[in-house]
Amino acid sequence: MKQTIVVIVEHFSGQIKPVSHELVTCARRLQQNTAAAVKAVILDADPAKLAREMADTWGLEVIAVRISQLTSYNGEIYKSVLADLLRELKAAYVCAAHSSQGMDFAPALAVELNAACITGVEDILEVENRTCFARSIFGAKAVAHVRPEKDLSILTIQPGMFRPQKPDKPVSGSVTNRSFRCETLKTRSRGIKEAEADMTGITEAGVIVSAGQGLGDKENLDLIYQLAALFAKSAVAGSRIVCDLGWLEYRCQVGVTGATVSPQLYIACGISGAVQHVMGMRNSEYIVAINKDPAAAIFQVADICIVEDLTTFIPALIEVYEKTKSDGL
Amino acid sequence: MKILVCIKQVGESESPIQIDDHGRWIQTDAITGYQMNRLDEFAVEEAVLLKEAYPGTSVDAITLGPDRSAEVIKRAIGMGADHGVHMITESEGYLNPFNIASRIADYARDKQYTLILTGVMSEDQMQGQVGPMIAACLSLPWATSVIRQQLAPDTKSVLVEREIEGGRRDTLQLQLPAVLTIQSGINRPRYPSLSNLLRANKQKLETFQAGDLTQPQLRENVVRVTYPENSRSGTILTGTQREKASRLLNLFRERALLR
Repeated sequence: MKQTIVVIVEHFSGQIKPVSHELVTCARRLQQNTAAAVKAVILDADPAKLAREMADTWGLEVIAVRISQLTSYNGEIYKSVLADLLRELKAAYVCAAHSSQGMDFAPALAVELNAACITGVEDILEVENRTCFARSIFGAKAVAHVRPEKDLSILTIQPGMFRPQKPDKPVSGSVTNRSFRCETLKTRSRGIKEAEADMTGITEAGVIVSAGQGLGDKENLDLIYQLAALFAKSAVAGSRIVCDLGWLEYRCQVGVTGATVSPQLYIACGISGAVQHVMGMRNSEYIVAINKDPAAAIFQVADICIVEDLTTFIPALIEVYEKTKSDGL
Repeated sequence: MKILVCIKQVGESESPIQIDDHGRWIQTDAITGYQMNRLDEFAVEEAVLLKEAYPGTSVDAITLGPDRSAEVIKRAIGMGADHGVHMITESEGYLNPFNIASRIADYARDKQYTLILTGVMSEDQMQGQVGPMIAACLSLPWATSVIRQQLAPDTKSVLVEREIEGGRRDTLQLQLPAVLTIQSGINRPRYPSLSNLLRANKQKLETFQAGDLTQPQLRENVVRVTYPENSRSGTILTGTQREKASRLLNLFRERALLR
């Protein structure tokens, strides 16, 4: 049997997540250097409808795995079912999302299958005729090119890195139905709790002034509010660290575990620019970064870079603004 | 009850990163200082909170790394851990998550830990693999990105809330023993106390030589390290602070962004 590149379709609450389409795109790119068929696998208590949707969208062979206990994501079930299935499929690569699900099961699955495990993949490259994967390290100040040393690699793919190019008129793919029964489980789902925090304040703002650990002190937050006051329809936000420190509430958090925003203007103040934050703001129209560390990763995604200490630069900016305003400019 | 908390020493986040001459790894001597991985501090704090809530609980802190990593073990003891374990490595280079996890699992296997905790990921490598891998090596249930946990010793289980996308939380009940990777924000990590730090300095750590870290055979390897490329123009404003300020204001005016 031919080898396969397997996409693990991520879904939540009866919907296919957008990242699943990116995973197919990634798998098709891998197919260019590997003689293998791309297949998608979807695990659910009732996978039929979503499996058909993936097969129709991509003209892809989809394996719909029905597991009656799987009412929501369960790492233990994913690990045991996928281990059996991937052995049977002779998988060479597994593309899962770098998400709360993929990051949870991929490393455990790799142990089970003696496979390579590469998480947070941002790109596929060739180094000395071997396929390698690029991922950010050291707070995105460097990129590692990682080469699998096993016949099977479990990858988690960073969302937003492989833009899906869906075929215009795909020939509908086939759906194969399977079912698995799981023995006594050590992990039981107890339901999903909806978000408590209302993030509309920052997701709807036209201008976001965002604070990072470089703020240094909670008292300096006042500068961030003063800067935000220069703009209409503005909001103050922050990185996760600032929320962990209790300087801002979690509903103001931008990043993978917070809000995803795309305002007209995003001003990152004292933000280092780790991947988790950048994922939440890189689609902003115009990005200005203020940071005293010239090597800060945030400058890689900025339109305008200002290497200054925000505690002196923001007061200078406000002063110049007030002056030019009173001069009638 | 016994808890194992797995911690890592990492370079300070503001430290410059310089790639070595061969482009194979970073220049470790350019790192300005080291500290406990910030995300592991939440795991240590959670272990110490459990120790305070359940009398008779002991907390072991384990790390794998070169000699200097003993400092993070001392910090964990300073925060309230009882016992420190240091698996000493000789090299400074890339450590493979599976090789780390399998060594920690070998250590933990016959020690009857009720819980094994670690941070959700390390700040330097950001792989987030060691926790679930330890669980798989020991055939234990696990949960990643835990933002709340409630132990139920009578039913030998722990109820956890995992942070998932969109601010939602997935609640799970895990049979004990279990492995949890702890998300930041679950608690406020305490500073080490003076009395505990004095104890940490006197106390002998349990040490092992971690041996050849390319064994078992590496499942993946870093073959090259590069600097990232800019995804946008990245125009650097120059001049004095005031000159930069007025150029920036002009850019805002051109885009009609100001009030």
